[in-house]
Amino acid sequence: MSKTLTQLEAADFINRSFTPLPRSYGDALVEAALQDDRITALCADLVPPTETDRFRDELPDRFLNTGIAEANMIGMAGGMARSGEIPFCHSFCAFITKRVLDQITMQAAYPNLPVKIVGFLPGIATILGVSHQAIEDVAIMRAVPNMAIFEPSGPEYHAAMVEMALAWDGPVYLRMKRPDTTPAAFTPQKLEIGKGVIRREGSDITIISAGICVSEALIAAEALAKDGIEARVIDMASLKPIDEKLIIDSAKKTGAMITVENHSIIGGLGSAVSETLMEAGIGLPFKRVGINDQFCEGGTTAYLMNKFGIDCEGITAAAKSIL
Amino acid sequence: MRSDHNLKDLEDIATKLRLHVVNMVAPSGQGYVQQGLGAADIFTSLYFAEAKMDPKNPTWADRDRIFLTTAHNTAIFYATLGERGFFDTERLSTYVTDGSELEINSSERLGPFVEATCGSLGQGLSVAIGCAIAAKRQGRTSRFYVIIGDGEMQEGQVWEAAMLAGAKGLDNLCLIVDYNFVQSEGAMDKVMSLEPLMDKMASFGFACQEVDGNDIGTLLNAYDIARQTKGKPSFIKANTIMGKGVASLEGLMFHQLRFPQEVADSARAELEAQL
Ligand SMILES: Cc1ncc(C[n+]2csc(CCOP(=O)(O)OP(=O)(O)O)c2C)c(N)n1
Ligand SMILES: [Mg+2]
Repeated sequence: MSKTLTQLEAADFINRSFTPLPRSYGDALVEAALQDDRITALCADLVPPTETDRFRDELPDRFLNTGIAEANMIGMAGGMARSGEIPFCHSFCAFITKRVLDQITMQAAYPNLPVKIVGFLPGIATILGVSHQAIEDVAIMRAVPNMAIFEPSGPEYHAAMVEMALAWDGPVYLRMKRPDTTPAAFTPQKLEIGKGVIRREGSDITIISAGICVSEALIAAEALAKDGIEARVIDMASLKPIDEKLIIDSAKKTGAMITVENHSIIGGLGSAVSETLMEAGIGLPFKRVGINDQFCEGGTTAYLMNKFGIDCEGITAAAKSIL
Repeated sequence: MRSDHNLKDLEDIATKLRLHVVNMVAPSGQGYVQQGLGAADIFTSLYFAEAKMDPKNPTWADRDRIFLTTAHNTAIFYATLGERGFFDTERLSTYVTDGSELEINSSERLGPFVEATCGSLGQGLSVAIGCAIAAKRQGRTSRFYVIIGDGEMQEGQVWEAAMLAGAKGLDNLCLIVDYNFVQSEGAMDKVMSLEPLMDKMASFGFACQEVDGNDIGTLLNAYDIARQTKGKPSFIKANTIMGKGVASLEGLMFHQLRFPQEVADSARAELEAQL
């Protein structure tokens, strides 16, 4: 009995197993901080789930657990940024955007300070339910002037997220997802601010996606290929600024387009792409795949993605519906 | 202790609820065992003795309302609701499975006995105060009980709400903090302790009591005093012990605990032996 009890160390919100998860974002942040002593980290009492435990342990003088007090965290980060630091602020996506929007706009975005806002649990990808699901965060943050938004399609892009956040001279929102398992080896393509990445070529339709939906889009593209439909798949990791040129070129090349996001269909990637197309005067068969203007619920990610229509099945059906 | 309740019966109910907590969390490891065991006596004393309610008519306008603002403490919450008759206890076995309304964070989609959806910490007290003010305007005698977390009290909104409740002398409000001294990072003072909490709340205009939150008789007494206090909201600092009632878990101060099968089995055996 006592042997087992020594193993009852704290689990965390994401990892329930006894094996530690990879900490690709947290490691990259520590590496960057070791190079640049302006980098500091704040966290509103969610240290392991935001991968900031290594920062806490290795750079304790530059780390602050603010307590469960997100608004105060963002306000303080504004003060730190005004004092020459580059504060990275951490919580779940829902709390670090919706709950503190006014503090973000007034203390980070309006003064155009390098406050880096880092959220985990993107969209519906959590068992923790409606309070912890951020399906409107991209819409909200897109509307904030000076703000850039980046979302990795997998842990292989986490280090790039830190680089891009530092390369953007102002406030940034990173929409992160902690890996559930150790990811398979993968050589990432280079990410750049304002650039999408073509992950698969095809000439019949373009699927523009971001975050956890990218891998689903790639699976959907293989399914479509079996039916003779070749899809170009774009990973739009830079949600703002967005790659207008690639959107327009892809529309012209493939003549049909869908967007796929782990977010409401209102205000996020789908909206950004439609705005670009409309202003370029391009009309084409088009559909937004995402959360259909409804609240969701807690559950396993695969279950929820299927139920709310943002997995490969939903994507394949949407693509076929417009061709 | 109030005369109309047999303390031994209530303690047996608390043990039964603890057993449900273990059984609900064991299959997936998802859920909050330590908090559930620790808060079982608060839930028992409120739902089975103090508060007036009608499980057959959960929207009864004159009910007392209980707000669980640490909405993650659902194993004990759902066990309580089930045993109290708000729904069939058989549903407890669907806890945290895909499609079940018994989610890890309680949501009002489960039913009106979830008085507000509170998984975003720090919001529930304001809602309860809104209900308490409305009840006064409507001439209702309902009382409003809020179970808040000690970590949760770091949220600024809690203090805005407390300031208003004190300023308005809302004596139909009783705020109970589940003072287990643990937040997500671990012990509260590793991050930021609330102390001196009694002084803070008193200065905000609350009538304050500090009690053993694992002693049902003492809790009932505190509710009595709160009910009799006029012109001020009440604050009960209920000191609870994480894992209370299971020897191997008692006092383990973890926000989330890994809960392997053999630990669950021994906890179950221990609780069953008490019944
Ligand atoms: C606004 C907000 N920030 C962060 C969280 C994540 N979170 C869930 S529980 C928790 C710790 C809560 O501690 P406490 O209030 O003491 O509750 P206990 O589990 O001890 O009962 C945190 C930080 C949240 N749910 N809401
Ligand atoms: Mg606590």
